[in-house]
Amino acid sequence: MNIKRKFFLSAKAYLFLAPFLVFFILVVAYPVVFGGYLSFFGQRGARMWYVGGGNYLSVLMDPNFWSGFDIPLFLLLVQVPLMLFISIFIALLYERVKHSQVYRLIFYLPYAIPGIIAGILWSYIFSKSMSPFIPILSLFGIHNVNFLNLSTLIWILLIIILWEWTGYTALIIYSTLLSIPREYAEAAKIDGANNTQIAFYIKIPLLMNTLLILFIFNAIGALQVFNEPWMLGALVTLPPNYTPAMYIYNEAFYYGDFTYAIAMGLILAGVIFAISFFFLRTASKQMQIHE
Amino acid sequence: MKEHNLKFHIIGIILAVFFLLPFYWIVISLTKDNGQLYQGTFFFGIPSHFIDNLVGVFAYKNGVFVNWIGNSFLYAGVGSIVGTFFAALAGFAFRRYQFVGKKILFIIILGFSMVPGFATTLPLFIVFKNLDLLNTYWSIIIPSVVNIFGVYLMVIYWNQIPEEIFDAARIDGAGDIFLFFRVGLPNILPGFTTLLLLSFVGIWNNYFLPLVMLSSSEKMPLVLGVTTITSLQGFPVYNLTIMGAFLTALPLLILFLAFQRFLVPQLTGAIK
Repeated sequence: MNIKRKFFLSAKAYLFLAPFLVFFILVVAYPVVFGGYLSFFGQRGARMWYVGGGNYLSVLMDPNFWSGFDIPLFLLLVQVPLMLFISIFIALLYERVKHSQVYRLIFYLPYAIPGIIAGILWSYIFSKSMSPFIPILSLFGIHNVNFLNLSTLIWILLIIILWEWTGYTALIIYSTLLSIPREYAEAAKIDGANNTQIAFYIKIPLLMNTLLILFIFNAIGALQVFNEPWMLGALVTLPPNYTPAMYIYNEAFYYGDFTYAIAMGLILAGVIFAISFFFLRTASKQMQIHE
Repeated sequence: MKEHNLKFHIIGIILAVFFLLPFYWIVISLTKDNGQLYQGTFFFGIPSHFIDNLVGVFAYKNGVFVNWIGNSFLYAGVGSIVGTFFAALAGFAFRRYQFVGKKILFIIILGFSMVPGFATTLPLFIVFKNLDLLNTYWSIIIPSVVNIFGVYLMVIYWNQIPEEIFDAARIDGAGDIFLFFRVGLPNILPGFTTLLLLSFVGIWNNYFLPLVMLSSSEKMPLVLGVTTITSLQGFPVYNLTIMGAFLTALPLLILFLAFQRFLVPQLTGAIK
C-alpha cells in the first residue's frame, strides 16, 4: 500500500472516529490526565501548592483509605463466589426445565431496577419502622429486632447486590452453556455419566473462561461500590470511608480536599486496571481478526 | 429425570420468591400512607392511598417531579441515541480501514474503558467548573454521549459482517457514507438496538454523575430527585419516596418487557 493511499484512508477513518474521539478526549482522556496533574498539588479551598508525590504517599499510608477496602474484599470473597454458584445453578435450571422463560424473566427483572432504587427498597424492607418481617418475628416472641445497623449492613449489602446481579450473571453463563456443542454431553452420556457428572466434569470446566471474566468484572464492580451503601446510609449512620468510592466522594465534597480525592481515585483506577489486565488482553485480540 | 426437574423447580421457586419480594413489597406499599407503612404488613393498605400518593408525588414542591421525568428522558434519550451513533461510526472506522495508529488507539480506548467513573468525574467536575458548565443540562448530556464500552461492542458487531457485503456495494460504486448508512447500519441493527437500550438504561440509572454535577432540583433526573424528597422540616417522607421510586423504575420495566429480545447481557464478545 503506498503512503498516499494510506494517508487518504487514515483521513477517512479519523473522520468516522472524530465525533467519538472529540467527546472521549473532552470528558475522559483529558480529565484523567488533568486529574493526574492536579494530584501533584496540595489544596485548601482555592489555594494550591506543588507537593510532588505527597498526596500519593499520604493515600498509601492513610488507614482510612485502606479500611474502606474491607467491603469490596468481603463482596469479592463472599458475595461473588456465592453469586457465581447460584448463577451456575440457575443456568443449569434454564437448560433443564421446560418453559424456563418465566424463570428467566423473574431472575433478570431486578437488573432493570436502578441501584439507587434497589437500595431504597431493600433498606426500607429491613428498616426498623417499615419492615414486614418484624411483626412476623414478634408473633414468634422475637421482639425489638433491628436488621439494619452498622454490623449487619454488610449482609444487607450482599443481599441487594445478589438480588440485582444474579439473574444477569446467570444469563451470561446460560448463553455460554448454549454454545457448548451438544455432542460433548451426549458422548459422556454414552460412557455412562449422569447429569451431575456432566455438569461438573464437562460443562463447568468449559465455563471457566466466562467465570474468570465474570469474576474480574465483579471485582471491578465491588471496588467501586457506591450507590447501594450510599442509600443505606440514609437509614444507618455510616463512616465516611465505608467504601473506597464513598471515601473519595466525601473527601472531595464534604472535606473539600479535591486533589487528595483525585489521587485516591487514580490509585483505585490503577488497582482496577491491574485486575482487568486479563480481560483487556483477551479483548484486544478482537482487533487482530481483520488485520 | 422427572424427579430431578422437581428439585430444580423447588429451588427455582424459592429463588423466585426472593427475586419477586421487593416487587411485591413496593406494589403493596404504593397503597399505603405513612401510618400504614409503619404497621409493616404484607398486605395492601386498607383504605388504599394509592391516588393520594400519586397526587402527592406530583404535587411535591410545585410539581418538580414532572421536571425530573422530563430530565431523565432527555438525558437518557439524547445520550443513548447520540452515544450509540458515535460508537457505530467509530466501530465502522475500525472495521473498514487500515489507518495510522489503529491498534494503539483501540488499546487506549479499551484501557480507558476500565477507568472508574470516580477517577474521571472528579477532574471533569473541575473542567466543567472552569467552562462554567456546572449545574447545566450539558454537564449531564456531554459525558453521557461517550460510551467507551459501546465502541468495543460495535467493533465486535461490525467484525461479524462479512467482507463480501461491503465489496458488493463497493463494486456498485458506493461511497463510504453510503456504505455506512445503507449497507452497514441495517446489518448491525440488532446490535445497534441492544446497545441503544443498554445505554439508555445505563444513563437513566446513573446517579453519581448528576450527584456531582447538579445542585438545583429542577435539573435533576429521577434517580437523583427521588432521593431528595423530604418534608419541609427535612425529614424523609416514605410514602412519597416509594411512589417516586416506583415511577423511576416503571419506564425501565416497561422497556424490559417490551424489548426483552434485545436486552441480553453483552459479555460474549469478551469471551471469544
